[in-house]
Amino acid sequence: MSAPALHAAPRRRESTPLGRAVAKVFAVGLPWLLLGFLFLPVLVLVPVALTDREYLSLPEHGLSLQHFASLTEWETGWLPSMMTSLVIAAIATVVSVSAAAAYALGAWALTGWWPSLTRVMLLAPLIVPPIIYAVGIFKLWARFSMIDTYPGVIIVHVVLCLPFAILAIGASLAQLDPRLIQAARSLGARPPTVFYKVILPNVTPGIAAGAVFAFVTSWDEITVTLFITSRAVETLPRRIFTGIADSVDPALAAISAVLLAVTLLALAARTFWFDRSQSP
Amino acid sequence: MSFLVARDLRKTYGPVTALADIGLDVEEGEFVTLLGPSGSGKTTLLMAIAGFTRPDSGTISLAGRDITGVEPEDRDFGFVFQGYALFPHMSVADNIAFPLKVRKWDRARVDARVEEMLGTVGLADLARRKPRELSGGQQQRVAIARALAFHPKILLLDEPLSALDRTLRETMQRELKRLHRQTGVTFLYVTHDQEEAIAMSDRIAVFQKGRIVQVGAPRDLYYAPSTRFVAGFLGVNNLVDARLVRGADGAVEIEALGARVALPPGKVADLPEGPATVFMRPEDIALEPTPGEPALAIAGTVADVSFVGSFDLVVIEPRGGPEITAHLPADRTRALPVGAPITVFVRADAIGVVPNT
Repeated sequence: MSAPALHAAPRRRESTPLGRAVAKVFAVGLPWLLLGFLFLPVLVLVPVALTDREYLSLPEHGLSLQHFASLTEWETGWLPSMMTSLVIAAIATVVSVSAAAAYALGAWALTGWWPSLTRVMLLAPLIVPPIIYAVGIFKLWARFSMIDTYPGVIIVHVVLCLPFAILAIGASLAQLDPRLIQAARSLGARPPTVFYKVILPNVTPGIAAGAVFAFVTSWDEITVTLFITSRAVETLPRRIFTGIADSVDPALAAISAVLLAVTLLALAARTFWFDRSQSP
Repeated sequence: MSFLVARDLRKTYGPVTALADIGLDVEEGEFVTLLGPSGSGKTTLLMAIAGFTRPDSGTISLAGRDITGVEPEDRDFGFVFQGYALFPHMSVADNIAFPLKVRKWDRARVDARVEEMLGTVGLADLARRKPRELSGGQQQRVAIARALAFHPKILLLDEPLSALDRTLRETMQRELKRLHRQTGVTFLYVTHDQEEAIAMSDRIAVFQKGRIVQVGAPRDLYYAPSTRFVAGFLGVNNLVDARLVRGADGAVEIEALGARVALPPGKVADLPEGPATVFMRPEDIALEPTPGEPALAIAGTVADVSFVGSFDLVVIEPRGGPEITAHLPADRTRALPVGAPITVFVRADAIGVVPNT
């Protein structure tokens, strides 16, 4: 762009008060609108969860914790599906983070054309729409009798978690000088020492971040899971989805409120610790 | 036999020949610089000596023992990298202690040695700092202290000063020379900066396209370069195409820039008659001939005069050849407007002759 055009743009904006007013309405109004649409439906869950009725509604005669209590009963199915989600997310996290760490370290230490090419391939799950992947994997798992099995769900979750883990670990490695390996070796360190004393301490934050991303991705996954599970493997998102489709149990609101509280707590803890560890 | 010996080293990367039959001998305690433009093979040779690059053929031996196949971690060579490569998660003291802990020194000995090295490089106050809290020059000192802490057999340095600014570079040059004297360790130093090489080294090996074209003390290379490339690479030099003419009685004359002069006997014993390259240093060009000495008288016009400080840099366009630069006394150049005719003189014994290729 030429210099005169650069100067002309701000002058035109300053010269029309109407334009400025419109800009202000959008600049201030849009974030509030967004917040409203995001948080009102979330916040409305809290009173609904405290309802004294037997169906999804606002409290009428008083507040009640009975729906929270029902979550803790094994027979209602909430605890088993939570356990299922936890187990799947934990396994998917360990597998995807281990694989991502091995891959990211290899791509970092070695040079050539292959790291950039394989990186695009491994990040593909971010690009492919989940619904398309869901249809495809449904056909494939049906052929191998993997529908509604733990291995079937875990493999899919690992694939979906990998790009997040690779991005997080890759980001922490990007700041690291690859010559650190040569430096350590020239100082007499053998490969295990190089790995445990030099590389690992520098990528631990990246691995932790990758693990959090991977865990949340798996814990939250619904689109593909919905296609490849039915009764044997019921994750928490799936239980909530079927719950809202065929019942009006206020326990739905209660479980959502619990998840919301956990998220807020995690966020607060992260902010607290992160800010602390950042300042010397 | 020399301390470190490289013989017939060869390394190719696809069509590119990085090292072409390199041979180099380094004595124990020497400061040897590998000097050359980028891509000339000097860093490849350093990496091969460090053990990070395996040569396609040839041998490297240390104190008579073949170490060509020895892993870098078993060579006991210190290495100072271009970007320092300090461990970012360790303090200065822990960085220096790393090679000692790897060698399983006991705690007291490690602490004593770290303190000694911190003192040697003048960083005793910064032991607990992290590398990112240090300036470039300080990081450099840590890298050197770390590489020297374990009494390496050789210290290899890969352009360690290239990231520093000019004044800091000169300080660090003196510092490195002091460390070399103080420790007695053999230094093998890679740089593309000829001033740095001349200022620091006992000997310089000049690289060109994967070969060592000349090895020698800085003074020898400066005053008696063996090729046109070396003459052009070391110090500012005027390189001029010339003709060598041999007389019947053994006298040798040189014809350059439209002038002719007899050279002192024995100066160009091994060069045949015919085309050759002549070099003249700017500081050897004068406005008057030295009485009683034969000189090449170059006539031309003044193309440019610039004030540099202790002298003026004068660019002269001779009648029969390319521009040459001369360092002339500042009080004499006021009478030299651009375009004025000028005649300058170069003493015959200050003229160097090298083959044309």
